[in-house]
Amino acid sequence: MSLSKSSLSLLLFILNMSTIALSDGLNLTALHSADKLKQIPSLNRAAAAVVVNSPMFKPAVEPIFSLNLLSSFPEDLEISDYCKELLNIFGQRYVAYVSCLVPAARPVTVCQKCFSSFGSLREAYANISSESGPGNVSCSESLLRGDRLMVVNQLNTSLEELWTSSACDNCVTKGLQRLTNDTLYFMNTLNQTDDCFDKYRQGNHTELCKNCKSTYQELNELYGRMEKNQTMCIDIEDSMNMTRRLWSKYYNCSVPREETVPVIAVSSFMLFLPIIFYLSSFLHSEQKKRKLIHPKRAKSYTSLMNIQDKLG
Amino acid sequence: MANITKKVSWSSRADESGATGEGTPLLNGSEQPRHSRQIGRLSTVDLEEEITSEEDSLRGRPKEIPHNEKLLSLKFESLDYDNIENQLFLEEERRMSYMGFRCLEISRWVVCGLIGFLTGLIACFIDIAVEELAGFKYQVVKENIEKFTEVGGLSISLILWAVLNSAIVMIGAIIVAFFEPIAAGSGIPQIKCYLNGVKIPRVVRLKTLVVKVCGVICSVVGGLAVGKEGPMIHSGAVVAAGVSQGRSTSLKRDFKIFEYFRRDTEKRDFVSAGAAAGVSAAFGAPVGGVLFSLEEGASFWNQMLTWRIFFASMISTFTLNFFLSIYHNKTGDLSSPGLINFGRFESDSVAYNLYEIPLFIAMGAIGGLLGALFNVLNYWLTIFRIRYVHRPCLQVMEAMLVAAVTATVSFTMIYFSNDCQPLGPEHTEEYPLQLFCADGEYNSMATAFFNTPERSVRSLFHNQPDTYNPLTLGLFTLTYFFLACWTYGLAVSAGVFIPSLLIGAAWGRLFGRLLAAITSSGSIWADPGKYALIGAAAQLGGIVRMTLSLTVIMVEATGNVTYGLPIMLVLMTAKIVGDYFVEGLYDIHIKLQSVPFLHWEAPATSHWLTAREVMSSPVTCLNRIEKVGTIVDTLSNTSTNHNGFPVVVQVTGSDEPAKLCGLILRSQLIVLLKHKVFVELARSRLTQRKLQLKDFRDAYPRFPPIQSIHVSQDERECMMDLTEFMNATPYTVPQETSLPRVFKLFRALGLRHLVVVDDENRVVGLVTRKDLARYHLGKHGLEELQLAQT
Repeated sequence: MSLSKSSLSLLLFILNMSTIALSDGLNLTALHSADKLKQIPSLNRAAAAVVVNSPMFKPAVEPIFSLNLLSSFPEDLEISDYCKELLNIFGQRYVAYVSCLVPAARPVTVCQKCFSSFGSLREAYANISSESGPGNVSCSESLLRGDRLMVVNQLNTSLEELWTSSACDNCVTKGLQRLTNDTLYFMNTLNQTDDCFDKYRQGNHTELCKNCKSTYQELNELYGRMEKNQTMCIDIEDSMNMTRRLWSKYYNCSVPREETVPVIAVSSFMLFLPIIFYLSSFLHSEQKKRKLIHPKRAKSYTSLMNIQDKLG
Repeated sequence: MANITKKVSWSSRADESGATGEGTPLLNGSEQPRHSRQIGRLSTVDLEEEITSEEDSLRGRPKEIPHNEKLLSLKFESLDYDNIENQLFLEEERRMSYMGFRCLEISRWVVCGLIGFLTGLIACFIDIAVEELAGFKYQVVKENIEKFTEVGGLSISLILWAVLNSAIVMIGAIIVAFFEPIAAGSGIPQIKCYLNGVKIPRVVRLKTLVVKVCGVICSVVGGLAVGKEGPMIHSGAVVAAGVSQGRSTSLKRDFKIFEYFRRDTEKRDFVSAGAAAGVSAAFGAPVGGVLFSLEEGASFWNQMLTWRIFFASMISTFTLNFFLSIYHNKTGDLSSPGLINFGRFESDSVAYNLYEIPLFIAMGAIGGLLGALFNVLNYWLTIFRIRYVHRPCLQVMEAMLVAAVTATVSFTMIYFSNDCQPLGPEHTEEYPLQLFCADGEYNSMATAFFNTPERSVRSLFHNQPDTYNPLTLGLFTLTYFFLACWTYGLAVSAGVFIPSLLIGAAWGRLFGRLLAAITSSGSIWADPGKYALIGAAAQLGGIVRMTLSLTVIMVEATGNVTYGLPIMLVLMTAKIVGDYFVEGLYDIHIKLQSVPFLHWEAPATSHWLTAREVMSSPVTCLNRIEKVGTIVDTLSNTSTNHNGFPVVVQVTGSDEPAKLCGLILRSQLIVLLKHKVFVELARSRLTQRKLQLKDFRDAYPRFPPIQSIHVSQDERECMMDLTEFMNATPYTVPQETSLPRVFKLFRALGLRHLVVVDDENRVVGLVTRKDLARYHLGKHGLEELQLAQT
């Protein structure tokens, strides 16, 4: 927790720095209208009040602020309190989501366990990136695109990528409310299979193979259907993989290679056919002969003599 | 002298067999023996003796020998690439306006565009048909295998697969063997000959195209070790020959357009464009197509032609991409490359380093060796096939057997393979077979065998480094090598590009894996996909021995210029090593078909041969004003079947051969006879329309045989004036001209007949393609090929 705190404060520091740089640039180029410049301090004050009200961040933020150069800049160029608050909320939810993800890494249950926290993270980010806030001020400019590092943006992008590659959208309903019925049904079937495995785990595995085959196959077919419909997420894939590995490798229930003899027999028969074919066509087919034609040539005795002269 | 001691033999020395006597029993010429195959090895002592013994042997036994590579077939004739500058031609040219010539130029471009478009369409059709049908077949077999894996009875699946393959291949083989044998194989040797100036019968007909396209679909769907790329070149050439004529003789439709292009010279240019368009559609390589046409095909070239051919290639690639994008539901996406898609190489595996260059060169040498082995094996097989498997039904049976065995071998390989790999996330494997693998894994041998060859190539290039284990790759290389070698030359239309690439990709990948295994930390640079590509290039180069065009094709097909240098080095090495042992596959097949093919240069050490020795003599000449009866008799003499006749003016009161004043072709004479252009008739009927060049073009290219032209007894007595129609300025050489000189003239100008004259311009002989093509440099010095009836 302390780690995340300090990283957050670092983040804030960087954000502040960048905001300063940005405002500075704006000042220099004098593109900003005077009205807008006046607006900023009032908003800042409001946001500062919010910050004070959140006790959790106060101690962590304070020492760093005292160290950095920010205090020497006019208050106008700081980010508004409102935006700070948004940033805080984003930070909290980010931490919550990450701390949910890590324990769910193996076996993979990231979709089932963390979809709600991802939903709230997404909401927080959406608030930041939305163009309209109270007082018609947008934080996206200062928080998301204020500097070249774009920490908030990058953090969010990496988690979004994680979400996309886990394909969790396939297992969760549209508004990230709950798991889909398909997923629940699959989990249910999976549990049945696991129960069956547990039941016969002791003793002979052939017993297990025989008795659990029907449930396992049902699961397998269900999985096959879901694969075709593209309604799978990483949780389902992973749990299925584990179950399959259990079934095939651990309990050794794969189909054995049994019919070696017939296969060899048939293939050697097939391989024998061309030999017969070529032998018989060699022996029985009449060889194709070519009739030679003799072209007419000049009476070239003299030239023959010439050749001999040349060769001699 | 070894001339008559050696009899029939299989070997390359078969040319020394007894049939060396020369005589012309069929003609009025004297039976003058010609004494040697090994021209340079004479001694004066036994010259006389030898001649007599040969003459005896000549009469003693029939001149029949088994087919071998040192023959020239009589059935091949030359194309008339030299323009016939007779008076009609000059007249037409004079009549033509400036605009007329501009229109001609524009219509050349239009024709090239059409060629590209139609070739692209055909490629698209083949691609889609193969994909759909093969998909259906593999689905059926896969379901069957899955069903029987559990309950037992996999041998039934094996039989099902073999029977399906044989049945499909049977259709392909039947249409080829019974309807159009010329459509067999890749067609590249045939097109090469055509562009060299040899008229291969029926090679650019519509029927050939139809058989070719259907045949190639059948053979690829039938699971043979073949590709559909080679036939595309032939298809493109046929399209070109058809479109440029503005009519189809087979369908008896004449659109009355492009009439100016109805002669061999123009057609040749379009056929080169068609071949290029075919390559470019097949590999998505427009520049490669142009260079292929330049390197392998066209023996004649000019700059404007290059630009037009490039245009045709571009249009062809574009068309294919456009229609495939519709098929793949991505309408308008033009970036998907040709028939074979090598896929894109990712940027991190692209890198190669200086220390890898020797490795690449070594791989090139391996490719050359393996290619030479492939060619030698295929050479013996082809000779056997020509000699013993020449009946169509036997050919069909053979093709079916090959198909069945291919399926069997593949099945056995898959069955006994223990190489199981987890299914990839993006499912590049179209038809994964699980068989005895754990659930969630698939048999990796099946991705190589249970797939269309070009998909296998792609997975060898791009799958994860550990997808195939070394044993799988080794076995696959070995079996596929022999299967491909066995398959090429069957009576099915199919190409050798993809199988070669596949063999090479397999051992290249193996090479890469072994490298990664030896060098402990080398897994970064020893990317198997990269070595698979290099191996594929090496193997293909070793078999077909193309350099320039193949480099560009590979670069274009992978869309990666970075590999240009390694591929170039590899192909050079492969060619050098391979040429040390044996020629390229296409050249071997050209030789085995006894085609009088003229290479770039006359054989070395032939300067001492003069036109006098090379030429055919005596020559059947016609007078400038000749009796119709004489002409008809000359033309209908089946034993000679000459195509060009020097026209002479008799010096009054002299027995000497008359002086040369022109050259006329059989086709021209036939048109003249058909239109009855006789002096007497012209006098009596003044209104008769004057014969125009158009009349000759209308008869082109299938001039009627002389037998179909009826000449009455009265007409036989008429006279025919050839002055207007003959080529008044044929190329001539003096008797003392050396063979290389004659050869150069003949080859560079694309001549069909070259008249040999003495110092008083009297005809002494005639040099044709067969007279020149029969000399070649063998292991024992200059050797001579024999003419044979095939």
